Amino acid sequence: MASAVTADRLQFAFTIMFHYLFPIGTMGMAPFIAWYTVKAARTGDRRYDRAAQFWARIFAINFVVGVVTGIPMEFQFGTNWATFSARTGAIVGQPLAMEGIYAFFLESIFLGIFLYGRGSVSRRLHALSAVLVWLGAWVSGFFITAANAWMQHPVGYSLGSDGRVRLESLPAVLFSPFLWWQYLHVMTGAVVTGGFLVAGVGAYYLLARRQEAYGEIFVRSGVLVAFVFSAIAVFPTGDRNSAEVTRYQPAKLAAMEGLFKSERGAPLAIIGMPDAKNQRLIDPVFVPDVLSFLAYGNVHANVKGLAEYPADARPPVEVTYYAYHIMVGLGTIFLGLGALGTWLLLMKRLDRSRWLLWPLMLAMPFPYIANEAGWLVTEVGRQPWIVYGMLRTSESPSPTVAAGETIFTTIGFVGMYFLLGLLFMLLVLREISTGPDGESHHARAVTGAAPG
Amino acid sequence: MIALAFVLLALMLSVYVLLDGYDLGLGAIHLFVARNDSERAATTASIGPFWNGNEVWLIAAGGTLFALFPQVYASAFSGFYLPFMIVLWLLMFRGIALELRGHFPSDLWRGFFDVTFAAASALLILLLGIALGNVLRGVPLDAAHYFAGTFGFLLNPYALSVGVLAVLALSQHGAAWVATRVDGLPADRSLAALRVLSPLVLGVASVLTFATFRVHSPLPSFRAMPLIALAPIASTAGLIGVFFFRVTGSPRRLFDASTLFLAGMLASAAVTLYPYLLPGYPSAESGLTAYSNPPSPTALGTTLTVVIVGLVVVAGYRAFVVKRLSR
Repeated sequence: MASAVTADRLQFAFTIMFHYLFPIGTMGMAPFIAWYTVKAARTGDRRYDRAAQFWARIFAINFVVGVVTGIPMEFQFGTNWATFSARTGAIVGQPLAMEGIYAFFLESIFLGIFLYGRGSVSRRLHALSAVLVWLGAWVSGFFITAANAWMQHPVGYSLGSDGRVRLESLPAVLFSPFLWWQYLHVMTGAVVTGGFLVAGVGAYYLLARRQEAYGEIFVRSGVLVAFVFSAIAVFPTGDRNSAEVTRYQPAKLAAMEGLFKSERGAPLAIIGMPDAKNQRLIDPVFVPDVLSFLAYGNVHANVKGLAEYPADARPPVEVTYYAYHIMVGLGTIFLGLGALGTWLLLMKRLDRSRWLLWPLMLAMPFPYIANEAGWLVTEVGRQPWIVYGMLRTSESPSPTVAAGETIFTTIGFVGMYFLLGLLFMLLVLREISTGPDGESHHARAVTGAAPG
Repeated sequence: MIALAFVLLALMLSVYVLLDGYDLGLGAIHLFVARNDSERAATTASIGPFWNGNEVWLIAAGGTLFALFPQVYASAFSGFYLPFMIVLWLLMFRGIALELRGHFPSDLWRGFFDVTFAAASALLILLLGIALGNVLRGVPLDAAHYFAGTFGFLLNPYALSVGVLAVLALSQHGAAWVATRVDGLPADRSLAALRVLSPLVLGVASVLTFATFRVHSPLPSFRAMPLIALAPIASTAGLIGVFFFRVTGSPRRLFDASTLFLAGMLASAAVTLYPYLLPGYPSAESGLTAYSNPPSPTALGTTLTVVIVGLVVVAGYRAFVVKRLSR
């Protein structure tokens, strides 16, 4: 049966991947809500007001599921990964405390104003709260990425003789280039998701010939944002992020690319299936020299293959490789779809191009897959380390928690999240079918709920 | 400095209990003081904009504990594994119930979430109270400071009684909130409920105070630190206030008195514990104090600065927002 560490990893993977679906949504939608709210406040155009309120209703549902699935994440470090927590808490705990204090308070207080305070606060404060909710969502993303980036590339610490990490410099932790490129790439991924979400709902309205005034706003703004940020996801954020990985985590790079043997002028595998046992790619399609160029800016550079690393220092190649290729493949499709949409937008033909509205509508789930795949690369590619080069994942679980306990609670989480997922879909689809012009269900639900 | 870290943590956890306490307590009495859909909509709406911000205190306190005393964080949460997982599930059920109850105008939908909200709130208070009771009593820890007991050990009479007191005291706090913030019948029923709740709180709290003297040694010395006597004095004064302002019919002050009572109780618990964060059992010495694995001076200075500055900023914009809203 499964060992404790396998059970712990499965539980963490499941709960974090489910949880992350919701922050992507809130971080991706928040800029649109702020944009529409500020635009409505400046132009007095009621359509933008209703558009902002519509997305705020979907945001609110997203937010609550994100909050309730997020609470277990912070405490799982203690329940399931006690050894890791006891040894690294002096640093990993820092951004988690800061996330609560500097982001969650901001987000929750101003979301309260934005959702319940309409009419009881000035238009300016109402618009400002939309911007502050956006800020809160993005600051929270920063701190949680900071905790992760430190585990990828530990800085600003010293190691005590008892194996415990000591904080030496918080600025070193918070201003590490590894963190900033990772953070910007993560945020870009969220905005791409937001863009395709907004464009997709707009496309649905145009295809269904209902709420068309809003369909046009959504498709136009969504496509433009999706295109610009799909490009930023490739360059500079994706490019710089992998440069940091190349520099500090070369074994992860080899697994991402399915490169088993070191090569000068290493080729880039576009497709192919890794065969870890025989250390080769099955049915590969290569582009010669490109990997060397992408990694080191030089077509002749030597790229180290997985074989260079001892067997107990290699990440699992299959998951890392596929996740990376899925992310990059989808990213390329997003860029193409966004470019096509933007071109039609400039030609003023986007709203009538039903052949493109269909793929835009159907594209909605795929940015979520790309984001999750990116995190899989980051996390699985870091193995066998929980803190890169310092602490092994196998050494990190709670000494007093058995596999059976974790399997039991995982079953509990699976059941609960299945229910949560159904409720979420039910409520969001209902908001979409009601539309920006319809009567809000949520506003009616909390009538008279003015804070004070 | 390490004493300051202890005080800061105790303060953050206490603020969590005081703030989330009224919405948890409201949940525990929800089904009794609000009987039909419009009353239940009104009581849940009274905490609608607040409960989530209140719960952030738990997250912030948890993160601060993690950063300052990682071994305590690791030992406590892995030691209370199953009960803590149940706490997490209840927190989820409760948040979902509260936010989704209003989405469909259907009796079945709302009835389901009303009962979920009430049951999850009451159970949460009970479990958090049991956890506090066990921390006060001490838990068996091995040489590496990890939990060496069983789930059954945690369900001892002392800890269970602290759980019961928590349910009663926070129900009282929730009733005071409803009396202050909700109009009509729910407020009347809350005041009526206080007639029963407050005497029970008084009885259980008195018995438990003596029981605490028995389970926890050494006790703090009032002679060495006379100021700590303020904590039990505050809780006594608060409880007297609860009785008094119910009779005089001033709910706003009743709520403040209940806050004072809870603050005094929590402060008493904190001074009883100090310097322990997780005492051992049967002797406290095998446990973890704030000085067992103290944070390095850099970490301590950084964390205290970051947390205190952050909380001051939060208090600032929260006050600004509340002022703007009440105009």
